[in-house]
Amino acid sequence: MMEKRVKRSDEPIWWALFSAGGVCFAVFVPAAILFIALLIPLGLLPAETLDFERSRGLLFSFPGLIFIGVVICLPLFHAMHRIRHGLHDLKLGRDKTNKVIAYGAAIVFSLLALLGFVLGIM
Amino acid sequence: MTTKRLSIQRYLPEQSKTPFWQEFEVPFDDSTSILEALNHIKEDMDGSLSYRWSCRMAICGSCGVMVNGEPKLGCKSFLREYPGTISIEPLAHFPVQKDLIIDMEIFLEHLAAVQPYLINDSQDSNQTHKQTPAQLAKYLTFSDCINCGLCYSACPQFGLNPEFLGPAALTLAHRYNLDSRDQGKAQRMVQLNREEGVWTCTFVGYCSEVCPKSVDPAAAVNQGKVESAKDLLINLFKR
Ligand code: SF4
Ligand code: FES
Repeated sequence: MMEKRVKRSDEPIWWALFSAGGVCFAVFVPAAILFIALLIPLGLLPAETLDFERSRGLLFSFPGLIFIGVVICLPLFHAMHRIRHGLHDLKLGRDKTNKVIAYGAAIVFSLLALLGFVLGIM
Repeated sequence: MTTKRLSIQRYLPEQSKTPFWQEFEVPFDDSTSILEALNHIKEDMDGSLSYRWSCRMAICGSCGVMVNGEPKLGCKSFLREYPGTISIEPLAHFPVQKDLIIDMEIFLEHLAAVQPYLINDSQDSNQTHKQTPAQLAKYLTFSDCINCGLCYSACPQFGLNPEFLGPAALTLAHRYNLDSRDQGKAQRMVQLNREEGVWTCTFVGYCSEVCPKSVDPAAAVNQGKVESAKDLLINLFKR
């Protein structure tokens, strides 16, 4: 009887995105930073590695789509999950509102990134 | 004999609404536990001091107190481990009844909520249930809990929301879910799947650090999250 009233949490969805994002943060984001923000600017790799034509070709392709997913979208959900739970721990705001804002932002920016991709391949 | 100063938080609701601190100078040697120091105070210095204890060998789980702000078993912590004055308070996150005695009601309710016993309605359930060593190994460490409640004092999420089922209850649920003789997983998953089930946990991990029996509740709770996520997926496809 009591079991009827017990509500299932929707947290598994956010937790799964958070976990996937965590793996991306640990593996892909550092690799992206290493290449884009360190090796190329420091001249350790030739500047042509990512010149305009090449980066456009790389980005607006299937691997580019994966890149957007693992370097932008999933890490966004990871970061927003942390921010939401951090706010809860600091007793800031109402969790319901924080949830909408945090995951809403992750969804909006992910969609923006994907929109950029779609515009790019058209 | 050398002595050590103990600063104990007292709370005598019939005398005053506010707790106060009282200091005692107790003799000790290398083998003196916090519990023995409390016993010494009660017998020789101030008989009004109240606290719980029974086994004095880390089995009954009743002597939990905060020692210098950390949840500890009084009988498993020793005066020699602490330089300077030692502060003793009742376990954090629980209502205090008197001195070092806390009200464990909510903890016991959470334990009961996960049905921590074998559920098996099969025909042969009056037979002896055989189990291989490998099947036993799956849950053995999770079955060492002595219900001391230290992990609840350590858990900041339980501190924020006492409705959270908490480390020990979720560990016990997981322990029975992993038991090859049990068939009650579906009933327990209802509790694990709740917001106040596994999902209140943010993997702080302090529960596993303070656990005097090395039960590793944090691991159990997070394995419970995987189970709960799987349960959601399975339910989506069932419909
Ligand atoms: S899991 Fe460990 S700390 Fe928590 S109640 Fe059981 S024995 Fe105590
Ligand atoms: S007195 Fe039993 S656990 Fe400490």
